[in-house]
Amino acid sequence: MNETPTTRIVTANWDDPNVVGIDGYLAAGGYEGLRAALAMTPDEVIDLVKTSGLRGRGGAGFPTGVKWSFVPQDTGKPTYVVANFDESEPGTFNNREIIEREPHRFLEGMAIAAYAVRSHLAFVYCRGEFLWPGEILDAAIREAYAKEVFGPSVLGSGFALEVVLHRGAGAYICGEETALLSSLEGYRGQPRLRPPFPAVEGLYASPTLINNVETLATVPSILTRGPEWFAKIGTEKSPGTKIFSVSGKVERPGNYELPLGTPLRTLLEDHAGGVLGGRRLKAWTPGGSSTPMLTEQHLDIGLDFESITAAGSLLGTGAIIVMDETDCIVEAARRLVQFYAHESCGKCTPCREGTWWVSRVLGRIEQGYGRSEDLPLLDELGENILYKAFCALADGAVSPIESSLRYFRDEYEAHIAERRCPFTGVGPGGETATGSGDAIANDAGLTGALT
Amino acid sequence: MSGPRTQAEPVTLTVDGSEVIVPKGTLIIRAAENLGIEIPRFCDHPFLDPIGACRQCYVEIEGQRKLFTSCTTEVAPGMVVRTQNTSDEAHRAQVANLEFLLLNHPLDCPICDRGGECPLQDQAMSFGPGESRYAEPKRTYEKPIALSPLVKLDRERCVLCARCTRFCDEISGDRFIELFARGAGERVSIAAGEDFRSPFSGNTVQICPVGALTAEPYRFVARPFDLTTADSVCQHCSAGCNIRVDLRRGSVVRVLARDNADVNDAWTCDKGRFAFRHADLPGRVTTPLIRDRGLEPASFGEVFADIAEWSREGRAAFLSGGRLPDEDAYALAKLARVAFGTNDLDHRRTFHGGRAEQLAAASPLDTTYRDLERAKVILVAGLDAEQEVPILNLRIRKAARRGAAVFVIHPRRTRLWDVAEHTLCLPEHQTYVLERIHDGEAPGDAFEGRVSGALREAAGEAVVLVGERLTEHPLAADVALRVAQRYGAHMALVPRRSGDRGALRAGVHPSLLPGGRRVSDQAERAEIEGSWGSLPAEPGRSTRQILEACANREIDVLFLIGIDPLRDIPDADLARRALSNTRHVVVQSLELGSLEPFADAFLPAAAWIEREGHATDWEGRAQPIHAVRGPTGVSRADWEIFEGLAEAMGRPLGFGDLEALRAEAAPLLEPRPVTSRSTAWTGTGRPQRLGELTLLAYPLLVDEGRLSEGADELKAALGQDPFVELHPEDADKRGLVDGGRATVTTDAGEAVLDVRVTEHIAQGAAFVPFNQPGLAANELLSGSFTTAVRIEPAVAEPAVAEGAA
Repeated sequence: MNETPTTRIVTANWDDPNVVGIDGYLAAGGYEGLRAALAMTPDEVIDLVKTSGLRGRGGAGFPTGVKWSFVPQDTGKPTYVVANFDESEPGTFNNREIIEREPHRFLEGMAIAAYAVRSHLAFVYCRGEFLWPGEILDAAIREAYAKEVFGPSVLGSGFALEVVLHRGAGAYICGEETALLSSLEGYRGQPRLRPPFPAVEGLYASPTLINNVETLATVPSILTRGPEWFAKIGTEKSPGTKIFSVSGKVERPGNYELPLGTPLRTLLEDHAGGVLGGRRLKAWTPGGSSTPMLTEQHLDIGLDFESITAAGSLLGTGAIIVMDETDCIVEAARRLVQFYAHESCGKCTPCREGTWWVSRVLGRIEQGYGRSEDLPLLDELGENILYKAFCALADGAVSPIESSLRYFRDEYEAHIAERRCPFTGVGPGGETATGSGDAIANDAGLTGALT
Repeated sequence: MSGPRTQAEPVTLTVDGSEVIVPKGTLIIRAAENLGIEIPRFCDHPFLDPIGACRQCYVEIEGQRKLFTSCTTEVAPGMVVRTQNTSDEAHRAQVANLEFLLLNHPLDCPICDRGGECPLQDQAMSFGPGESRYAEPKRTYEKPIALSPLVKLDRERCVLCARCTRFCDEISGDRFIELFARGAGERVSIAAGEDFRSPFSGNTVQICPVGALTAEPYRFVARPFDLTTADSVCQHCSAGCNIRVDLRRGSVVRVLARDNADVNDAWTCDKGRFAFRHADLPGRVTTPLIRDRGLEPASFGEVFADIAEWSREGRAAFLSGGRLPDEDAYALAKLARVAFGTNDLDHRRTFHGGRAEQLAAASPLDTTYRDLERAKVILVAGLDAEQEVPILNLRIRKAARRGAAVFVIHPRRTRLWDVAEHTLCLPEHQTYVLERIHDGEAPGDAFEGRVSGALREAAGEAVVLVGERLTEHPLAADVALRVAQRYGAHMALVPRRSGDRGALRAGVHPSLLPGGRRVSDQAERAEIEGSWGSLPAEPGRSTRQILEACANREIDVLFLIGIDPLRDIPDADLARRALSNTRHVVVQSLELGSLEPFADAFLPAAAWIEREGHATDWEGRAQPIHAVRGPTGVSRADWEIFEGLAEAMGRPLGFGDLEALRAEAAPLLEPRPVTSRSTAWTGTGRPQRLGELTLLAYPLLVDEGRLSEGADELKAALGQDPFVELHPEDADKRGLVDGGRATVTTDAGEAVLDVRVTEHIAQGAAFVPFNQPGLAANELLSGSFTTAVRIEPAVAEPAVAEGAA
């Protein structure tokens, strides 16, 4: 990697295998940010984070310091901090590597957040499938207790902080903050009505701060190096760096930390080694599967919240999924919608029924059974789902439908006209005959007598 | 914290161009209803918390980019709302959502019980797409699955609105059913091997907006357009639930709850809902009978004449059950005094007495459901609300959910266990606990101290509910009254049966005339004499005293009006002796039942569903009941029979019709102040125990009561075999184990019963349900529902050698 060292904040120590343990982390200057925070008042810490301009890395990009300041301090109830480590968005895998390589940086950030909002009990909600990262985190929390980083007196300051690791049971919806809280309380992971917002009535109806792992892992450096230093990195409105998870058809997939505002061309060509096999870029997501796809024409747009929004998509979690010219866009859209149909919690109608319907229509088209009326139907279903569901999960499902139809409508039309997938040749119009729509549905695991 | 009684400030908004003013915090969907604008909905229910799951109720709000679900959005000042009536966008969203809901819906309306009264069908017919664009196979499930012997679930019809699961979470607390799995595979389900054993399960069927949940007694029984219906009030207990009775070809096939936020909200219990066949059973007798060689059919005139002849020279006494409508109770109170010149009449099974009883008779609506709902503290004494007055239990839970502190004094833990603090004490110690609460000197870490403190702090926003466990002890209710008065709390005596409070008000009582006026008080008696003429001045005999007099051959004619002493009185032996030793027994009821050998005359009464009248609930609220059909055979409303009897006696009651009866009764039943003083004592110290173990009995909700006859599905779902329940320490001492058998011996009798060992009963107490199949607990009792008892392991039945069978 050839970027300047200053732009590596969260990943700065990733080349050092010793920072997984607390000794290595302390040797590398770890927990100095927490020490600095403990020397300040909580309000000063909040102000400092506000000044840095740090925005949440979980997808919405809400200013972190402002979020911290929303947590009321006069309710007479306990205040909780919850770290959202339910990283489940397809294409997103930076939280996992943060925990696998340097868990204490995250724990330090979480402790700073807890101190700032005067919370004495923090929960880490760990994605159920993250068995190994969960083990690392568990060990790291134990180490932190042993070194009296956590416990009745954090680093001897008198500030008490208990940390509890909670493992999810494998549901994408639990990354949605209110569903996460329901799950953490032991209920079904389904989103709750807002208001009341979690800051006011979150976990156990008490004030709760919820932050993403990457957000929290960014905080210690802001404490040690100052908010002004941080604000100078990236763009004016999207300061700092972002860990971009690059996957799909690239030569070197992986996590790359770059200043916000870096265009995809730089990320792709200078860091990820370009499109796999030197093929042509077809489509890419800027922020995971729930963000509308962009194309080759967007290669030079800066990867920051404002620029990507202006281009008609969302920065989301900064997860770049790259598709090349050999990829069938209908199949790509089908798989993505299928994911949302599978992960829909079932609570609300448009998401539960709409994603199921769309995934089946897409499956039919991909298998060569598309009908000319299917494309206007898909357009309309997208509209009927978008902003109509209880939470944002369904909106995410609309992204691949709407954006693929916007940029690659001709490919859909080709599937229907040729009665086969032009890429695989599968379909009644092709050489390989396939089964009926039922077979597709069965393949999707969504029909038959459910018991 | 704002008090529950504070008036919310008004908010003005516009819906479809019309202005409406509603309290702050109102949801848009409710505000629209105030204007008569119905926004389509499935998950929304006015008595459940908002959830926003079905997304059917979208409306447009001026100035907002997105549509809003009107069932989750509160009004704001100046808000301009456009519903489907004035907003194309809202209309389109609703049509689109309906299309989603219909994707996997089977459209089996022609064979679905909901067809014809189904919100989904109604909406699909009024604005749904005529044809589906969904070309793929529909989602199907194995169907139906039985959640219990009462409730069946057809999951493919379900729209996943979560009304049923929310009812169980929020209202009944009986969380048997839950949503399982997720996405398109989400479905309502129940844990493997579990039954939906909630006495409120039928409510989930009623609020299901499709035909997913159906009730076994009504499955495939009728189409809505085949039904004749009438609004009425449930007669199963004193809750006063507003119900609708549905008949098909003259027989009751269904009972539904009607909404009444003052009484039952939108709910009724499974007994009220599913025990509706008693008026249509083969044992019903609908002609008058007179004993000649056997009981022979006769005309009313013949029977009246014979009874008059028996009574003219003899001494008459009247016992009634607790299930007469108010008008009939009034007629009975007058009949006994005016036509038969006696105060020997009673409707009570147990002794109440005292000032609390007079107050209950004189001042209706002193304490209401609303008072309960708004209370900060509720003290429940001697009442197992779920089993006795189930809807009252739901209201207490509602209050608890709103933050009320609930305390229960009862020998057994009640279904308020998860929302209330219980003190489990022996039946004979309950009054003592109340005395300690009254004195307010118990330490703050004791139950009594906490209750005193809470009552003091509630500053009048408190309710004391007194049940029959307490009122059977002489003047115990007055002690509760003193507690209430000391802390400025509301108090109510909560009787079990639907006609109890009405009978008390009407004066079906040996020492109280209508309006709680004392027979023994000349001035009070004179107020009635002004209307009725001269009355006997000596108080009469109570139920037990009447039966004792009968047994001693001191009564010549005993009238049993809707009561079977052999089953209803907690002394089976006394009841048998009384019936055997009375010259003439007159039974006025729907059937003879076990009284057949004793009856000398039978007068067929019309059933509850066959008459007009009023029913007074535990609050003292009189609500109208309506005839859904005419009397069966030649049966008559009780008051008409009383009038015929009085005429035969030559002393007519002079009503002629119900209107005249009501006009006569109304001034006598006006609420009036009670001037007498309580004679209850406090500070008597801890009372003696009845024995080493105290047996207590009371009826469970689902039992062998007359009104539950024919309700087989209900009994299959919620019935229980008789058992004896006792505390682990008491069980250990006697070598009894849970699931074993025990011999239960009292002065009155002996029974061998299954043993249940549980910590949820006071040490030293043993419970036997009063009336379960195979055991009439009154065989163990001698006048009171509590008695000393001995319990020991039953002698093991000889084991059958293997292979011997």
